[in-house]
Amino acid sequence: MCLLIWIRAGEWMRNIWAIAYKEFIHVSRDRRTLMLIIIMPMMQLMIYGYGVNTDVKHLPTYIYDQDRSYLSRRLVNAFTQSDYFSVKAQAVSLPQVYSALDRGLAQSALVIPPDFAANLTKKKTGLVQLLIDGTDSTPANVALNSSQAIINAFMQNEKLIPVQVLPVDFRPRLWYNPDLKSTYFMLPGLIGLVLQFMIPMITATAIVREKERGNIEQLLVTPIKPYELILGKIIPYIAIGIFISFSILTTMHFLFVVPIHGSIITLFFLTLVFLIVCLGIGLWASTVADNQQQASQMVMFFAMPSFLLSGFIFPRESMPVWVSDIGYFIPMTYFLKIVRGIVLKGLGFFDLIDQVWPLALMAFLVIVFSIRRFSKRMA
Amino acid sequence: MPDIAISADLLTKRFGKFTAVDEVSFEIPYGAIFGFLGANGAGKSTTIRMLCGILAPTSGTGKVGGFDVQTQPEEIKGVIGYVSQRFSLYSDLNVAENLTFYGQIYGLEKEALQNRIKDVLTLTGLDRFRQRLAGDLSGGMKQKLAIANAILHEPRIIFLDEPTAGLDPLSRRAIWELLYQLAEGGTSLFVTTHYMEEAERCNTIAFISDGKLLKIGQPAVLRHELTDQILEVTCQPLMKASRLFLKIEGVRGVTVYGTTLNLNVIDREAVEKRVIAAAGREGIVISSIKPIEASLEDVFADMDSSRRMDA
Repeated sequence: MCLLIWIRAGEWMRNIWAIAYKEFIHVSRDRRTLMLIIIMPMMQLMIYGYGVNTDVKHLPTYIYDQDRSYLSRRLVNAFTQSDYFSVKAQAVSLPQVYSALDRGLAQSALVIPPDFAANLTKKKTGLVQLLIDGTDSTPANVALNSSQAIINAFMQNEKLIPVQVLPVDFRPRLWYNPDLKSTYFMLPGLIGLVLQFMIPMITATAIVREKERGNIEQLLVTPIKPYELILGKIIPYIAIGIFISFSILTTMHFLFVVPIHGSIITLFFLTLVFLIVCLGIGLWASTVADNQQQASQMVMFFAMPSFLLSGFIFPRESMPVWVSDIGYFIPMTYFLKIVRGIVLKGLGFFDLIDQVWPLALMAFLVIVFSIRRFSKRMA
Repeated sequence: MPDIAISADLLTKRFGKFTAVDEVSFEIPYGAIFGFLGANGAGKSTTIRMLCGILAPTSGTGKVGGFDVQTQPEEIKGVIGYVSQRFSLYSDLNVAENLTFYGQIYGLEKEALQNRIKDVLTLTGLDRFRQRLAGDLSGGMKQKLAIANAILHEPRIIFLDEPTAGLDPLSRRAIWELLYQLAEGGTSLFVTTHYMEEAERCNTIAFISDGKLLKIGQPAVLRHELTDQILEVTCQPLMKASRLFLKIEGVRGVTVYGTTLNLNVIDREAVEKRVIAAAGREGIVISSIKPIEASLEDVFADMDSSRRMDA
C-alpha cells in the first residue's frame, strides 16, 4: 500500500518535473522574456531610486530683495541655508518674478519690500511675501510648511520676538525613516509592484502560448493530469519571481543603502505567498484569454488598480473611504505593509498577522479557483 | 475479441441541439489501416476526440485497446499515439528535447528512453536532426517527428488526423511507407485524409457526412459497387455540356476531368441514349462515350449527391 502511494507520488513528481524542465528551456530560449526578467526590475529601481523622488528639496526660488538691508540679507540667508529652497536668481523687478513663476523657472519667489527693515524696527512689523507655485500640491505644501518654520527660527534668532517658555514641551520624533527618505518607502514596495506586473503576465502568456500554438492538443492525449501540467508550468515562474525579488532586495540594500531591519527568511516566505497570488491571477487570465495579447490586457486590468490603490505611491489614508476600501481586495495592499514592515520596521511574522492571513486566504482561493477552472477548460 | 483494436457502437456526440456524431459504429482490428473520410466539419475530429478519451460521448460505447471511452479515458491515453492535424510539438525545443519530454510523460526513463529515442529517430530517418529545433524542420520532417513522437511509448493504436495535409508528394509517400511499416508490426492506424489516392491505400475506409457514417468497406469493394454507374464522356464544348448533362434525368452528378466529363448515373444504358440525344440538339460534339470503373472520388461524389437529394 505504502509502496503504491510512493509509486504514484513518483509518477506525478516525474511529470511535474518533466514539464518544469521543458518550461525552463522555453524561458532560456525566449530572449524577450529573459530581458524583461533582468531589465525591468533594474529599470524600475533606477526610476524610483533616482528619478521619482517625492522628497521635496531644493525648490528653485527667485529672490527679489528691494530692501538690501542687513536684516533682509539675513532673511534670504535663512531661506538659502535650508535644504528646501535653492536660489536660482536675484530678480530685479516684479514682472521678472511673475514671468519666472509662469514659465516654471522658479517654483517659489521671496519678495522683500524696500521698507522691510525700517518697518520692523519702527512699527515692529515688516511685510514679506513668499509666492509659491501651487500647481503641484506636494511641493507647494512643503514650501508652505517649511517657510513657516524658517520664519519662526529667523524671528527667534534675530531676537525679534521674546524667547518663550512653552507650557508643553513637545518633542516629535521620526521613527523608522528619520531622514524621511522616499527611497526607503518606495524601493521595498517595488518588489510588490514588479511581481504584480510581471509574474501574472509571463505566467499567463506561457500558458496561453500552448493553446495558441496547438501544443495543448498533443498534451491532452497524454496521460498527464491538468494539475500536473499547471504545477509543472508554474515552477519556473516561482523561481523567476524569487530571482526578481532577490535582485531588487540586494540592489536596494547595497546600491541605495536601504537598511533591512527584519528577517530575510520571514520576508522570503511571505513573498512566496504573494507570488502564489500573482501566479494565480496569471493562471486565471490564461483560462479566460484566447491569445497572448488578450492575456496581457487582462493582467494589466488587474495591475493598474493595484498600482494606484494599494498605497504604493498614494497614501490610502488620504483616499475617500469607499476608494480606500477597494484596497482591501487588492493583494498588494497587504504585501506592501508586509514588505515595508519587515524591511523598515523590523517586524516579525506575528506582528504582521493581520496582513498575512488575508494574503494567504487570497492565495488559497485564487489558486484553487484557477486550477479548477483550468482543469475544466482543459477537459 | 482481443484482435479488435478500436470499436465504436452507436457512438454519438451532441453539442446542445447539434448532433456532431450520430450513432457511428465500426470495428478496426490490430494491424489495419482505417481511413476515415469526410468533408470538413463532417464529424471526423469529434469522433477522434471521443476515441482518444478527450471528449465523453453523449451516448453509445467505444472501446480502444480494450478500454471504455466513457469510463476509462485515462487508461486509453496511455495506450494510444496521436498525430494532430496541426504541428503541435514545441518549435523552440529541438528534436531530442521534444522526444525526451513526451517520453518522460509516458513514463519512459533514462536509458530505456534514450534507446527508444534512438530507435524512433532511425525509423523516421531523423537521426541527423537530433539537435535541430523542431520549428526549423521542413513540413515533411515535422510530420515525421510527430509520428516518431506518437510511437515513442510503443502504442499499438495510433490516431493520425490528416498526417499528410499540405505536404509534397514525396514527403507524403515517405509518411505512408512509415505507416505501412507500423501496420506490418501489428499496430492499428486510424487515419483521416482528404486525399483519395491515400484512402485507396487503407485496408478499410469509412465515409462520414453530417455526423452519420454513410459507407464503410474495403476501397475496392466500394468502388465495385458503383460499377456500371460511371460514364466517361469526351466532348466539346466541355462546360456547356456539363451544365446540360446535369439536367438530364438519371444523372446524379457531373465531374470535369481535364478534357472529359464523368457522369454519375442511374441506369446507364437509358442515360447514355438521352445524353447523346441532348448533345445532338444543343450542338455538342461527343467524340467518345463509355462506361468506366469508379474511382474513390466518384464514390465520394456519389454519396455527397445522394445525401443532397435526400435533403
